[in-house]
Amino acid sequence: MASVQPKIKSKVRCVDGEIGEIVHVIADPISLEVSHIVVRANGTQRQVPVATIAAVRDDSVELLCNAAQVSGFPEHRPEDFLTSKQVEIPHLENKVHVEPGDLLVPFPVLEKSCARRNFFAGFIHVIGALIGLPLVWPVLRFIMAPMYAPYDNRWLKIGNVSKIKTEDVGVQFIFKKSFKDSVLQREEDKNHWVVKATPETLKKVYPQGDISFTDEKGDVIWVNKQTVPYVAFAGKCPHLGCGFKWRTHKKLGQVFLCPCHLSIYDNSGKVLDGPAPRPLDVLPIKVSATGEIEIIDVEYKSGKKELVRIA
Amino acid sequence: MMPLLQKVYDFVDERIDLKTLEAKMMKEPIKGGSRWAYVFGSVLLFIFIMQAVTGVLLMFYYIPSADHAYASTQFIIHEVDYGWFILSYHFWGSSAMVVMVFAHMSQVFLWGAYKSPREMIWLVGLALFGIVMAFGFTGYLLPWDQRAYWATTVGVEIMDKTPIVGDFMARFLKGGPTPGQMTLSRFFVIHVMVLPGALMGLAGLHLFLFRSAGPAGPFRGTPEELKAKTDFFFPRQVWKDIVAMAAVFLTISSLALIEPVVLLEEAKPDPGDYHPEPEWYFLFLFQLLRWKIFSGELGQFLGATAIPAAFMLLLAALPFIDRGPERNIFKRPIALLSWTVVMIGILVLTVSAIINREFLD
Repeated sequence: MASVQPKIKSKVRCVDGEIGEIVHVIADPISLEVSHIVVRANGTQRQVPVATIAAVRDDSVELLCNAAQVSGFPEHRPEDFLTSKQVEIPHLENKVHVEPGDLLVPFPVLEKSCARRNFFAGFIHVIGALIGLPLVWPVLRFIMAPMYAPYDNRWLKIGNVSKIKTEDVGVQFIFKKSFKDSVLQREEDKNHWVVKATPETLKKVYPQGDISFTDEKGDVIWVNKQTVPYVAFAGKCPHLGCGFKWRTHKKLGQVFLCPCHLSIYDNSGKVLDGPAPRPLDVLPIKVSATGEIEIIDVEYKSGKKELVRIA
Repeated sequence: MMPLLQKVYDFVDERIDLKTLEAKMMKEPIKGGSRWAYVFGSVLLFIFIMQAVTGVLLMFYYIPSADHAYASTQFIIHEVDYGWFILSYHFWGSSAMVVMVFAHMSQVFLWGAYKSPREMIWLVGLALFGIVMAFGFTGYLLPWDQRAYWATTVGVEIMDKTPIVGDFMARFLKGGPTPGQMTLSRFFVIHVMVLPGALMGLAGLHLFLFRSAGPAGPFRGTPEELKAKTDFFFPRQVWKDIVAMAAVFLTISSLALIEPVVLLEEAKPDPGDYHPEPEWYFLFLFQLLRWKIFSGELGQFLGATAIPAAFMLLLAALPFIDRGPERNIFKRPIALLSWTVVMIGILVLTVSAIINREFLD
């Protein structure tokens, strides 16, 4: 049988005369066909099965039964139904041509009296958390694995003091540093600056006397004596980690200048201008009898007033 | 329609209700009619799709390793047929994306389209703006040349200055205390997996919210006038969108042809003669950090983190502060003035960063 398409507000006629009008249409959610019409007659709403319909006309529906039989059909209970807007039933609205708000489907019995709805909702969240929470720590550790690598306290040869011709002038030493970077054995060009300092400059470099360097545990690994005239400055600007240069400045003369944010330092590393929060970083330095310079590639956190070693 | 095509259409329609879907996608009434001013969102989607396509192509040859990233990028440029074009398109596409994001946000701001009931679209849009900037930031490390290395080093150091979480964030991104292979791996996976996923999800949500809340329409005109001019998204707006997309495609392609990507030297911790500088759309922030008032630890935090974050928060709060129903920009003097000040500020800072270059040699 082709799907019956009764219209809302159609007059309903029984074999013994008109009894009222259609107020809702009920569809079967499985077959997607009209199963009942809801007829309002004498102030009550009755569910009339579709099998009772003899014919559907433009503005009326004719039933096979009489008015007394209609009164025998069960009364419509709105709480037992949902409108098609409140549920997701694919294709239903294409098959039954009734306004979604007037098209009803039965409220599934299991859903209507789902006494443990809250219990289920809670249970779903708990199970979700039981899957997710145990992963938090392993995932965090997995991601953090390389983040806090131990310091590299090796002494590295960076060149010979014979390269330095003039006192109180910044001389760049570019050297190859080989190191293990995760599984790669890599070699990188690095650069530091060495100044052969006059006694006055040396005083400015070591205002508090000797500088000692420590490892993670706080144990002293090296002390730079304030009497040694060679001073090594880490090639990384203490402002935000750029590479600075030795340049002639119009007003300040020869200075260390960082091109990134225009911090300017004198030959003792003191800040003359720009946004840098602290002087250039002094590195542990050793000069052998033959003039070979060795340093420890200590790295401090940039942008801090105080020295915080990170590598 | 051809009989076979019609059959295929009917087959699909019968199963998934294609007609309703089509109506929802294409037959959205546009109050006051289609306009050229509405093309920016669609153009952004187009640019993103092209970035995804060229990005996937680049991954056919790119090797995300500190030892090979530079060489494999050079290989793409010099050896692979049309590699230079694909890479240059991707490069200029990223700039186009930033330009379009600014245009799109400006349009929404000036039209007052962020106001109720469209606040959520605006908020998701701000998140998308953040993602686009993050795309740029993670993307330019990948060629592993000097520009890449230094922009990233400084960028991450800036993040490091955020109180409490800064150190963790910087180490998380660097994958260690100093930049290296782990940094490249992390930026790579963020750029090609995390951000595209986030962008697709949020852009989908953005569109869904837009369609749910409805377009704002023009800020002038009586309901009758708007109704008289109303048309559907298809065909007039789609036509304008595709013309704009074609113009953007031509522009990006021309830039890729005229100014193809040239790598600097391979990345190393010695900048040599290179003056580190970020991509142009971060220049204003970079220049801001050169100011004296943003020196020192607190100043740096203010300039690099607090002010940009406060600005983003202000933008997020905008629809909740500015609750007046007036949408006409010429009747919202504070909004117009603020927009002008911000745009001029960004422009002046960018230009002064460019002028500053000359004084560095």
